[in-house]
Amino acid sequence: MLSTLQPPRSLSLLPLRRFQSSRPIVSAAASSSSTISPPQSQILTTRRSLLSGETTAVEIAKSYLSRIRLTEPQLKCFLHVSENVLKDAEEIDQRIAKGEELGPLAGVLIGVKDNICTEGMPSTAASRILEHYRPPFDATAIKKIKELGGIVVGKTNMDEFGMGSTTEASAFQVTANPWDLTRVPGGSSGGSAAAVAARQCMVSLGSDTGGSVRQPASFCGVVGLKPTYGRVSRFGLMAYASSLDVIGCFGSTVADAGMLLHAISGYDRFDSTSSKQDVPEFQSQFLSVDHFESKPLKGVKVGIIRETLEDGVDSGVKSATQEAASHLEALGCILTEVSLPSFSLGLPAYYVIASSESSSNLSRYDGVRYGNQVMAEELNRLYERSRGEGFGGEVKMRILMGTYALSAGYYDAYYKRAQQVRTLIQKDFKAALEQNDILISPAAPSAAYKIGEKKNDPLAMYAGDIMTVNVNLAGLPAVVLPCGLVEGGPSGLPVGLQMIGAAFDEEKLLRVGHIFEQTLKGSGFVPPLLANVA
Amino acid sequence: MATRALLAVISASPSRCFISSSRIKIQSSVSSLSLNFQQHSRKIHRIARSYSSDTDSSLLQPPDVSRLAETARISLTPAEIEECETKIRRVIDWFGQLQQVDVNSVEPAIRAEMDGGNLREDSPETFENRDSIRASIPSFEEAYLKVPKILNKE
Repeated sequence: MLSTLQPPRSLSLLPLRRFQSSRPIVSAAASSSSTISPPQSQILTTRRSLLSGETTAVEIAKSYLSRIRLTEPQLKCFLHVSENVLKDAEEIDQRIAKGEELGPLAGVLIGVKDNICTEGMPSTAASRILEHYRPPFDATAIKKIKELGGIVVGKTNMDEFGMGSTTEASAFQVTANPWDLTRVPGGSSGGSAAAVAARQCMVSLGSDTGGSVRQPASFCGVVGLKPTYGRVSRFGLMAYASSLDVIGCFGSTVADAGMLLHAISGYDRFDSTSSKQDVPEFQSQFLSVDHFESKPLKGVKVGIIRETLEDGVDSGVKSATQEAASHLEALGCILTEVSLPSFSLGLPAYYVIASSESSSNLSRYDGVRYGNQVMAEELNRLYERSRGEGFGGEVKMRILMGTYALSAGYYDAYYKRAQQVRTLIQKDFKAALEQNDILISPAAPSAAYKIGEKKNDPLAMYAGDIMTVNVNLAGLPAVVLPCGLVEGGPSGLPVGLQMIGAAFDEEKLLRVGHIFEQTLKGSGFVPPLLANVA
Repeated sequence: MATRALLAVISASPSRCFISSSRIKIQSSVSSLSLNFQQHSRKIHRIARSYSSDTDSSLLQPPDVSRLAETARISLTPAEIEECETKIRRVIDWFGQLQQVDVNSVEPAIRAEMDGGNLREDSPETFENRDSIRASIPSFEEAYLKVPKILNKE
C-alpha cells in the first residue's frame, strides 16, 4: 500500500528512485536493479489488509484522497471527485465490524471515465453540452462494481465523447502525464490512465473505441485491458461508435485489471450486443511468482505482427517491443512473425466507421431531453445553437465527416466500403490467431508526446492510433502492459506492449500478461512524481 | 413565443442528402504512418467518382461544410467553417485510399462476430425513477417537454 504524500514537498522536484535517467534507448528489463519486487495487486492487498484488521477502509480512502489533493493541481485527472468516498468507506468498515461477507471489490477505490453514467454524480463526457448533467441511473458496469463493494472515487477527464488521443479535447481541462507534466497522458481515457499511474485510485474504468484504453495505458505506464466486444454491457456508456465501443479497465497490475474486468463482465438485458458467453474466474491465472515453473509459458505460440514494426514507429518503441518478445521467448513462448496484409487499411476504415456512427449517435444531444439548451425562436435553431455551443471543435468535425460519409450517393463509397474492409481485417486476424495463441505489437508508434504537439493536425493524431484500431474493428480482446522505457521526460517514458487474443479468450491474455509482468526484471513502473513515496 | 408541443423524437440530423458545388482541392500531406495521400489523392477522387454504378459520379464532391452543418443541425461561426473546411478536406482525401482496395464479393461486417438472439422482448416497462429522469429535461411543463414553435405560418 502506498503511503500518503506529505504536502510541503514540491512534486515536480521529487527525486527519482526507481529509474535513473535513461540512456538513449533503454528497456525496463535492462535498466534497473533486479532487486525491485514484482508489482503487487492493489485489490488483493486491500482485501488482505482489511480482513486482517491491519487498516480500515476509511484510512485507505483518506490516504488516496490526500494524494488526490496533493497531485491533482498539476495532473488534473478528475473532473469530479465524489463527496461520498469516506461515507462509502465507513459502510465497508461497519460491515467488517459486523462480520458480514465482503464483496471482492470491498474498499477498492475506482476512478470512472466521465462518459460512463453514475447516478446522481456529474457525467459529462467532458462536453459542455452535458455540463452539470447528473444521470438518473448507473451504467450496468457501475451497478456491478457497487454491488461488489467498490467505491467510485470520481469521474476522470477524457477527450470529449472519446474523440481524441490526448485528452486535450476535453471541454474543461488538459490532463498531464505523471511521467512528465509537459506531455499528454494519451487518450481518450487519459484521466483514468494518469489517475492509476499517479496512484490517485487503485483501478479505473475507461472506454475503448479505437485504442482509448490501450494507448493511454502505454503513455502512462499502467496496464490497460480492452475486453472482447460484447463481454461488458455498454448500457450507460455514452455511445460514440456503437459497433466498436467497449468499456475497459486500468490497473497497476494485470491482476487488478483482470479482476475489475471480471466484476463488470456478463450479459445484460439492457444491451442486446452483450454476450451470454461464460465469464471465467480469471483470478486463478494470477499465481505468485514463487509458484512459476522455470518456463512458465512453455509452448505458448506468440505471433509478432510484422506491419507494426515497420517505418513510422520510433526506434525506442521497436527495441522495447523486440526485447519484450525476447523476454516471452525466455519464458518458453514460441515466437514467429505474422503478417496482416490488411493492417494499414484499418486506420481510414476505422475513422470512416467511427465518424459515421458518431454522427448518428450524437444526434441525441439536441438540447431538449437532457443536457444544455440554448433557447431560440424556432425548434431547428434550438437544436443548432444548443449543439453549436455545446460541442467542441473535434466533435463537430467528426460529426460533419460522418454526415458526409453517410450522405446519399457517398454511403457505398465510404461507409459500406469501410465495413467491407472490416471484414478483411477480421479474416486476417482470425487466420493469424488460428496459428498463434496471442499476437503482439507495440501499443502506439511512440511514447507520450508534448502537450499541443499534434493538437491542430488531425491526421498526425489519427496516425498514432494505427496499432490499436484494427483490434476494435475485429472486436478482439487486448491487454497493454508496460514493457520498457525510452528517453524523454525527467526519468524516461514508458512504452506499452500490446497482446491481442482470440474473441472471449481474455483468460489466456491475462495469464501471459501476468507472467510477463511478474518476471520482467526491474518491473514496477512508478512515475517520478511518486518515486520516493512508494 | 414558445409553444408547447408533445415531442416525438426528432432527430437532430434528419436528412442525409446534399449536393456540393465546391471544387476538389488537393491538400498537402502530413508525415504519418501509412498515409501518403497526396500522391494518391487525384487518383482516389477519380476512382471514387467511377466507383459505384448506382451513384451519379457528378455527385461525389468534396464536402461543403456549411451544408453539412445544416444537415447535422450544428451552428458554426464563419471562422469554424473555414477551419473545418481545411481539416475535413484533408481527412476526406485520406479516406479516399479505401477506394483502391479490392472488395469485390466481400460482405460488409456491421460489427464483430457475436452470438445473436439477445434481443429482449419489446414490451413497455415502467421505471421507478421517473422524477429524476424528468429533472434532466431543460424545459418541462406538466406532462410535456417544452420547445419553441415547430410550424411556420407560411
